[in-house]
Amino acid sequence: MSNEQWSNVCERVEACALTGAAAFAAGIPGAEILVNGPIWCYFYGLRYLEYSEYDVGLRLHGSQPDNNAIVYGTEECLTKALERLLSYGSNPEYLFIENSCSISLIGDDTAGIAKKLDLPCPVGTMDCGGLVGGFAEGYSKACLKIIKQFVKPVAQVAPGRINLLGLSDFTYNGRADREELCRILTKAGYTINAVPGGGSRIAELQGICNARLNVVCNEELGLKTAQYLQDKYKQPYIVLGMPYGLQGTKKWLEQLQAVLPCEQLEAVLTEIAATEARLTAWSNELRSVWGSLWFDNVVLSASSTTALCLAQALRSEWLDTSWMTVICQNKIENKYCTLADEVYYSGSDGPGINRVLDQVNDVLVLGSNYETTLLDNRGDCSYVSCNISLPVCDEALMIAYPFAGIRGSAHLLQRIWNAYISTKKKNG
Amino acid sequence: MAIETKRFINSRKSCSCSMPGAWRAVAYMRGVVVIFHSPRSCTHVATTMDINAHFRSMGDGYHEKGRTVPLVSSLLSEKESIFGGTDKLQRCIDFVVQAYHPPCVVIANSCVSGVIGDDVGSVAADAEAQYQIPFITLNCYGFLDGEYYGGYFETIKNLIARFMKPLPKQAGTAVLFGDNGGPWGHYATEVTRLLRGMGVRVLSQFPSYLTLEEVRQVPSAEGMVILGGKGKTQEGFEEIAQELEEKFHIKHMPQIYPVGWSDTQKWILAMGELFQCQKAAQQVLEQEQADFAKMVEKFVSFTKNKKAILCVGRWLMYFDPVTVIETMERLQLDFLGIVMLNTFDDDVHRLEMEAVIRACTDVPIYNYQEGSSLLQEADIVLSTHELQEPGIKQIFLPMLPKVGTKGEKDFMQAIQRTLCSKTQGGGIFYVK
Repeated sequence: MSNEQWSNVCERVEACALTGAAAFAAGIPGAEILVNGPIWCYFYGLRYLEYSEYDVGLRLHGSQPDNNAIVYGTEECLTKALERLLSYGSNPEYLFIENSCSISLIGDDTAGIAKKLDLPCPVGTMDCGGLVGGFAEGYSKACLKIIKQFVKPVAQVAPGRINLLGLSDFTYNGRADREELCRILTKAGYTINAVPGGGSRIAELQGICNARLNVVCNEELGLKTAQYLQDKYKQPYIVLGMPYGLQGTKKWLEQLQAVLPCEQLEAVLTEIAATEARLTAWSNELRSVWGSLWFDNVVLSASSTTALCLAQALRSEWLDTSWMTVICQNKIENKYCTLADEVYYSGSDGPGINRVLDQVNDVLVLGSNYETTLLDNRGDCSYVSCNISLPVCDEALMIAYPFAGIRGSAHLLQRIWNAYISTKKKNG
Repeated sequence: MAIETKRFINSRKSCSCSMPGAWRAVAYMRGVVVIFHSPRSCTHVATTMDINAHFRSMGDGYHEKGRTVPLVSSLLSEKESIFGGTDKLQRCIDFVVQAYHPPCVVIANSCVSGVIGDDVGSVAADAEAQYQIPFITLNCYGFLDGEYYGGYFETIKNLIARFMKPLPKQAGTAVLFGDNGGPWGHYATEVTRLLRGMGVRVLSQFPSYLTLEEVRQVPSAEGMVILGGKGKTQEGFEEIAQELEEKFHIKHMPQIYPVGWSDTQKWILAMGELFQCQKAAQQVLEQEQADFAKMVEKFVSFTKNKKAILCVGRWLMYFDPVTVIETMERLQLDFLGIVMLNTFDDDVHRLEMEAVIRACTDVPIYNYQEGSSLLQEADIVLSTHELQEPGIKQIFLPMLPKVGTKGEKDFMQAIQRTLCSKTQGGGIFYVK
């Protein structure tokens, strides 16, 4: 990817690596995070994570340096922040200290400063921020760093035991998706060993090599760690993407089964068949009233694995359209989607994305409020939307119902039908 | 047990970033292109602010209209942090000029470019000579050397220096100065309504909501109305307004803003003086007073003798307790006490706040430890900070309250509706 694809970035920009790294660490229960960087950057990271965990602020702290810290170093404010944290009676299982981009440039010995205080828990430190990249780069870097810090050589590899890599509770509806994947896999007969960044404690990360296979879901988040574990500990991995749609979920499981057989796949296939019958009956009923689920255009915009896997399910299982555009946040090899008419990568295809969002009309948007705000402000675009990624300001999502897997298929199809019906009602 | 606020913020400077300020100063100024000399992700903050503003405006019943101008990041990466970012900035400028043909480019600097020491001014000067269009650069670098308003004000000063010249005056006209949600926001719409009642015509809102050509026309206004409130920010607005008065004879009225009912009344009369329409201003005032009295009567029937607490955690320069106390007294609430929150990290600012409170009420003042037991007695808590205690009904007091008669009505209505609420859960309520 050329690093100089300038464009109007208003079309979509992800939170920075500081937020992504914090999201990974916050996905470890008992872990606390200290952002050694400007309060402004800390606050925007905090607000992003609060969307998924309202009280994450109790675990995500800021050292709040002022401009003098750039000259004299952050030791004073960092020490104060750590002392304050201890004075609260905080007893973290792990403390992750991340430096923002400008603080990372002044070369403070963050680990040394923390060591002076003799903290009662293991500490990890990392330079992180916009210079590293976006959310995915920060998450990926933190994941690798923390796994390296704790991983122990294999103790006992159990059959059917797997790790899920590249899942985060801090993406839109991420926790519900993670729970659905674990439910399906457990039902199929697998044992979930660890989900780094998605609910596994430090002790589980230490035992990550006890799994027979690493399953990489969102590769932009988890692939580097899988590669490291294979190189260093001979632990194999498979990149499967995210399972969207009923047939998509079936295929996802069959690919996994081909590499690591399970004993109860039939139980999941039975659930898929039953759900398929139910959703078909629903769709038939709705078609009789509202017509076929047709959109002139579809724009799908999200992190790359999600966008590509969802696009495949969308067009092969749920709806029809004359043109489907997929906008991916990160550059990854597209091995998931054969049915999109065009695929753009934010950061390298900015002008193309700008053009799509400037001109598209009569469109179903599956994305975030970045896209819908732009379309609102255009004033001449007829669209209907389903939110699938952050930021989201125009929807309450209070119950944990996934987008991925079997239950997610019903949920997303329901959302799309309701969007379609609302368009019909508005236009009719 | 002590009262806990939801967020702990001890920093009093370097609390914000100058880049979004520069962005917001020209975000709707058609023709302009903004470059953030920064990592790409820094633009996330500016666009997130825009999205939040977009939906807040919808929630408030109006709608930000129009699209923002292009925002381009120079894409600073780890490589530039070692070798410098000026070459990349130059290439970014080349792209911007070729792609957008802008009549003006604004370059905002990140803290990263400040730390690596890029000479952005020289790059901009070279580009200006090459492309023969104005390039506005700032001396602010992210959270270094200037906060949000540092970027905002410096951009404005540059716009004035570059684009304004003396023009013949249009009598009875005003330019609004500031943002507060733009021409569709509560501040601009309320001020415009009141001025219209006096026969004063609002020409435009400076700076962001104009074209460059309209910026040139600003000196034709007779007066400038600052959409201001309180604190250091105000000094920045007034300094620029003073400059405009001296250079272009655009009159303004400093230190009086329609925040709270008392000051709204003073502000109406002050505008009468500013635009020399005292009689019309007096008529507007009398009409507002009559309408206001009816509103108060209606609300008091719900609020009288309800138990209320005020929790204060902001410095005096950011929060005026007097207008809030006046409203509480006007609504005849049973005022149990005032709690000073633990966000005061020094005695000087806490005592300064207490002195101002003491001068206007004899209601008891408690510290955050003493105040805890009081919370459960109250029907309503008005607070500058979100409190963690469950089950209490809180009204959030923003840095800049809604203004004018309508703003005061909305505030009283929020108190009334919160008191009418029979739900058990508590939580925080906002003045919408």
